[in-house]
Amino acid sequence: MDAVLKGRPIVHGRIKGKALVSTKPLSFLGGIDPETGIVIEKGHDLQGESVSNVVLCFPYGHGSTVGSYVLYSLAKKKKGPKAIINEFADPVVVVGAVIAEVPMVDQIDISQIHTGDTVEVDGETGTVKILEGQRRNVSYK
Amino acid sequence: MYLTSEEERIYEGEEGWAYQTAMRILVKLGDLFEAKRLIPITSAHISGVSYKTVGDAPIEFLEALFNAGAESKVESTVNPAGFDLSYMKEFRLPQSFQEKQIRILKLYEGMRINPVLTCTPYYIKKPRPETHLAWAESSAVVYANSLLNAWTNREGGPSALAAALIGKTPDYGLHRPENRKANVVVKVEATPTNEAEFGALGAFLGKVLKDKTPIIEGLPSNEEALLKQMGAAMASTGMTTIFYTSFPRSQEYERLETLSVERRELDEMIDSLSTTDEEPQLVFIGCPHCSFNELKKIAQQIKNKKVKDGIKFWICTSRHIRRKARKYVNLIEAAGGKVICDTCAVVTWLREMGVETIMTNSAKTAYYAPNLSKVDVRFASLTDCIREARAD
Repeated sequence: MDAVLKGRPIVHGRIKGKALVSTKPLSFLGGIDPETGIVIEKGHDLQGESVSNVVLCFPYGHGSTVGSYVLYSLAKKKKGPKAIINEFADPVVVVGAVIAEVPMVDQIDISQIHTGDTVEVDGETGTVKILEGQRRNVSYK
Repeated sequence: MYLTSEEERIYEGEEGWAYQTAMRILVKLGDLFEAKRLIPITSAHISGVSYKTVGDAPIEFLEALFNAGAESKVESTVNPAGFDLSYMKEFRLPQSFQEKQIRILKLYEGMRINPVLTCTPYYIKKPRPETHLAWAESSAVVYANSLLNAWTNREGGPSALAAALIGKTPDYGLHRPENRKANVVVKVEATPTNEAEFGALGAFLGKVLKDKTPIIEGLPSNEEALLKQMGAAMASTGMTTIFYTSFPRSQEYERLETLSVERRELDEMIDSLSTTDEEPQLVFIGCPHCSFNELKKIAQQIKNKKVKDGIKFWICTSRHIRRKARKYVNLIEAAGGKVICDTCAVVTWLREMGVETIMTNSAKTAYYAPNLSKVDVRFASLTDCIREARAD
């Protein structure tokens, strides 16, 4: 059966994609290359990974408010994430998702999601569905 | 959140994409912080201007807003840029940096946002007490709330811009009286003696208080320049948005948690704000930008002396104050100092100018410059900074 996580809707839009999951907060300004969408923050668990066209899951954002513009800039180049899932939404990421028009949900226990899972994000209802059969071989905790 | 029919119309896009986007930003932030409505603001102050600190990221978004015909609905100002246009030789920057910076400024200006390029908009026009603002620039936020009793949250660049375009901000946080109350009493046993020590005290308090609202007791002076330094540093090392230096004694006061700051703690902070004791290539005063009185004080201390060969002595301020203090500017520049506008040592390209070590009386600059500008810092009082810059 598909696992359904219920969170809070932040930015509308419904999308399906592969999850990229981090356990660390993410700063869009300085943390991600605005040209390529690759995480460049040294020591970050996503360092070297691309946030382009994935469902990007991380606990919360931090750092400069200019980070919102980085999300917009990535989206315009089609290098942005397909959707964002946070544990706690913070203003930088919320504003970024609004202007980049990226569906966003928060108040989700992201430890339930694993990199490579196929997930369906619904920014209207705030639900995240982890699709059965598309899950990587990781057992439920 | 409750929206009026007019706000609803904008939210639905009937005034076009730019205002719809601005309204969506405000409504989403309002929802996030559980605001019940939007309230009118008297001014907005927008950060994210210097090309050195923001890079290319905002240009596309600002261009899209500008092309969609967005205009500010209230008095709006912007933070410093990456250089002073009148002193280009001093900066020796690559052509592309200059072009990008000028592009950013033109976009703001095109949206009827006044390019004052200062972090001290309150010296140009002092907001009235108990009016609502949407200001970014953390030092100006703490100044407005604490010294002027004008009410603003600590906005980011994008939210301040959205507030400017709509002329409103969500009603939460410091816009509500119940959130402006002090919740900790700080007893300062350390007796800071000059603006640098007030700054260091602020840096210490920012770290320990995080986002608490303090009543700070035992300060030997409430002089504006001293509190400005203290507030700017508090907002840099922490999330302070408001402090009090006095408070009526009441039952409520007696119940607050207290915390004391000893001389040893202040001295440790002062030491930690220096990374070197070597001779600086740049002596920098003016973070936050200097007031009229600060320029006067500097002129009185430097006049009839000469600045050492091979050392830059920068005093940063706004164009507005530079014009007003023309007499003192002339004295400082006759001595070999430079009264620079539109920028500061934190948001310009120091390394590209060949500066590796700076000396400053600003705790905020001392805290940021090693990371943001990759320079060494010597942190000392204004008097010591001027002594270092002078050739005597």
